[in-house]
Amino acid sequence: MAQLSDDTQTPQGDTAPAALPGDGLREGIVDTLRNDIGEALLDTLLKPNDDLWVRVSTESWLATGQALKAAGFTYFCFLSAIDWMPSPFGNSQDDPDDEPKQIDMTIKQGYTGGETRMQVFARLTDIDRHVGITVKADVADDNQVVDSWSQLFAGANWHERECHEMFGIGFNNHPDLRNMYLPGDFEGYPLKKDFPLLARMVKPWPGIVDVEPMPDFEEAADAPAAEAPAGAIEGAES
Amino acid sequence: MTLTDRQQLSYIASQAADARLNVELETEGMTLNIGPQHPATHGTLRIIARLDGEQVVWAEPVAGYMHRGYEKLTEVRTFPQVTSLINRIDWLGSFANEVPFILAAEKLMEIEAPPRAQVIRTILFELSRIANVSLFLGDLGVQMGAITPVFLAFRDREYILNLIEGATGGRFHPNFDRIGGLKDDLPKGWIQETKGAVKKLEEFCDTIDDLLFGNEIFQSRMRGIGVIPADIAKDYGLSGANARASGIDWDLRRDQDLPLSYDLADWKVWTHPDGDSWARCWIRLQETRESCKIVGQLLDQIPAGPVMTKVPRIIKVPEGEAWVATENPLGEMGYYVVSKGDLGPFRVKIRSASFNNISIVPWALKGVYVPDIITILASLYFILGDIDR
Amino acid sequence: MGLVDKGRLPAPLTKLFNLSRSYSLWVYQWGLACCAIEMGAAFGSPRYDVMRLGVIPLPASPRQADFVCVSGTVTDKMAPAVKRLWEQMPEPKYAISMGSCANCGGPYWDSYSVTKGVDQIIPIDVYVPGCPPRPEALLEGIVLLQQRIKNEDMAAKWRGDEFTTLQRTRAMEAGEVDREGELISDTRSISDEPMPEVAAAHPEPIVVGGGPIE
Ligand code: SF4
Repeated sequence: MAQLSDDTQTPQGDTAPAALPGDGLREGIVDTLRNDIGEALLDTLLKPNDDLWVRVSTESWLATGQALKAAGFTYFCFLSAIDWMPSPFGNSQDDPDDEPKQIDMTIKQGYTGGETRMQVFARLTDIDRHVGITVKADVADDNQVVDSWSQLFAGANWHERECHEMFGIGFNNHPDLRNMYLPGDFEGYPLKKDFPLLARMVKPWPGIVDVEPMPDFEEAADAPAAEAPAGAIEGAES
Repeated sequence: MTLTDRQQLSYIASQAADARLNVELETEGMTLNIGPQHPATHGTLRIIARLDGEQVVWAEPVAGYMHRGYEKLTEVRTFPQVTSLINRIDWLGSFANEVPFILAAEKLMEIEAPPRAQVIRTILFELSRIANVSLFLGDLGVQMGAITPVFLAFRDREYILNLIEGATGGRFHPNFDRIGGLKDDLPKGWIQETKGAVKKLEEFCDTIDDLLFGNEIFQSRMRGIGVIPADIAKDYGLSGANARASGIDWDLRRDQDLPLSYDLADWKVWTHPDGDSWARCWIRLQETRESCKIVGQLLDQIPAGPVMTKVPRIIKVPEGEAWVATENPLGEMGYYVVSKGDLGPFRVKIRSASFNNISIVPWALKGVYVPDIITILASLYFILGDIDR
Repeated sequence: MGLVDKGRLPAPLTKLFNLSRSYSLWVYQWGLACCAIEMGAAFGSPRYDVMRLGVIPLPASPRQADFVCVSGTVTDKMAPAVKRLWEQMPEPKYAISMGSCANCGGPYWDSYSVTKGVDQIIPIDVYVPGCPPRPEALLEGIVLLQQRIKNEDMAAKWRGDEFTTLQRTRAMEAGEVDREGELISDTRSISDEPMPEVAAAHPEPIVVGGGPIE
């Protein structure tokens, strides 16, 4: 190693890491948040030894960010959205010769529930206490706008631009919601579930031929040998 | 610390003096367009900079020239197919991309890879970090007109690529990680080979340290330039070496509980108080050394046993949501995986490190001189696939 | 290049030109994605050392390049820039498409933002498949391109015609094949064919002023 001047040697790093986050810590965070935003905290989910999810009302999206930042969640991880509608095109992996499967179009939200098709969610980290939190909020179906976090976390600026481009969700008070990825004449919001992938529409998924039975698994041995290729997926599921 | 403080101050003072000069001379504004294809932008990033004389008034990166639509494509792939796709996000350290996704899927399925697979995963993870960062170190010289380091980097990187190829079959995109373990065990003689290669890489680090970091031109172009304070870094979500160079002591290898074997090795997280370009590069150099150390130690501790747990042939991931992030070569890379119990994921949010790291560019480039644009961008270190996804 | 302008070039001269052109190829590296790193390994690393093939990988601009190596994913946003690059290059120019992405879209065949093949934008001479192709594969692609250049009918290229080999032009003139005739122009089969050689037993007469040779 070449000579390093003194200012490059830092004492940090040798100290033992702070205690890994416990569930007690997470419960405390939920309590603090409930104190700060009250009724707006709609639902919480604490998976033991894993992670913490909270859902807040749309109006308090910005207030939640402020409260969490004040509570020590100063590290901005990401912000994005989910379209909970099941894709009307399935997973585009079925044999085109099969009967088209009936797709159940009921919208079912994930952890901490929800009422709307779209949800924004963000993740913040508390670097000192080594704990992270996922915050979700519904986005009204008729008015897809939430408050912007870009004044709060500078990094949210680009994430909201991306989110706007991919889902068509608007952000109040965002400095500029220009497209960042797609060429100017692109139409549609690609990450919405009803955005079709045209290449898949015109050409069936080439992977469906790739269902040869693998010899060294019991399931394969149990399954009838002359199984039709298209049926192999369903057959092995049982 | 006095040295860098003084340098920063003099740099800021000269910037201010220049700004006054710009006013006196009534310099005309000018727009400088760098890219989309420019050797200094590591691929296809475009930077539009508005100049006043020699200073940047504002700069704006234009991303999207490499947007390939990963998040949409994962929705029409099955879980095992997704790994072959996400390999290509950060293409210099491909194996590292697979690990957090696989871990997230394993978390949802509530299985864990056997210990042998965990150690091998960690070794390959660190090897891909070395492959990634060694090219960064070589490329750093090119940004400042020194051609030799990049040849050194390409030469020594081949040793690592050979190892990755030996173990996984792919030089670049291994697609080796499986839900529940690894595709294969290590080939015979690989451990011995790796020990030799790691030595070579350590020598490479020493060479670069002498050749580049000891170089006066390099220092004067990097020190005190592009300073990013810690709270700004947190605001923008900078991660990895960029955050640690600003004094944020945060490393996901150490600071979270994942089924990877980092606690078996004795290593150190480096931080630096300065937050300038030089600190960022220096941290990366030290990290390559630490990675060599981790690999060297883990090679002696690979337990015996299988490399794959029992998983069903057709993988269906139970309903649920999981977030797993790991400390990738470029910084924090995480996957937020939402599964609805199907063959494929319902939604995957890919949190890539470079996207956040590069979103600070408009802030960091404000007021700097034109030649510093390149060094600041180089020291922030991004990969286009990781920005645009 | 008065001779070329007349559309007729003596075969030995063509051969000489082709030989020199094929061994001083300046390549512009249009690296776009992962493949760019493998291209960098092929062009910039001591292990693969492309310069031994007579390829110079360091032109400063497309305006002084002989061929371009498009490696990586071409997105719809990038496509206009690729086209503009191609238009800036001087004739005669060649293009190598490296990697599945540039060939056909590769792993992103169903993506909404990826151009499914750079050959929709610019004409490609050599395709190098792989994801990513090994540097050796790229080197083979370059060798094949060199063979193609060696056999090329330069005058036709100058006129802007489709690629033809010298043998084929001669055969066409002799009435042995018609325009859509048998002698195929794909690179593989050219590499098997002998160069348009002046056999020692039958020295080709050289006519000053570029008259008919045979
Ligand atoms: S062909 Fe493969 S390696 Fe090459 S750019 Fe495309 S995805 Fe990357």
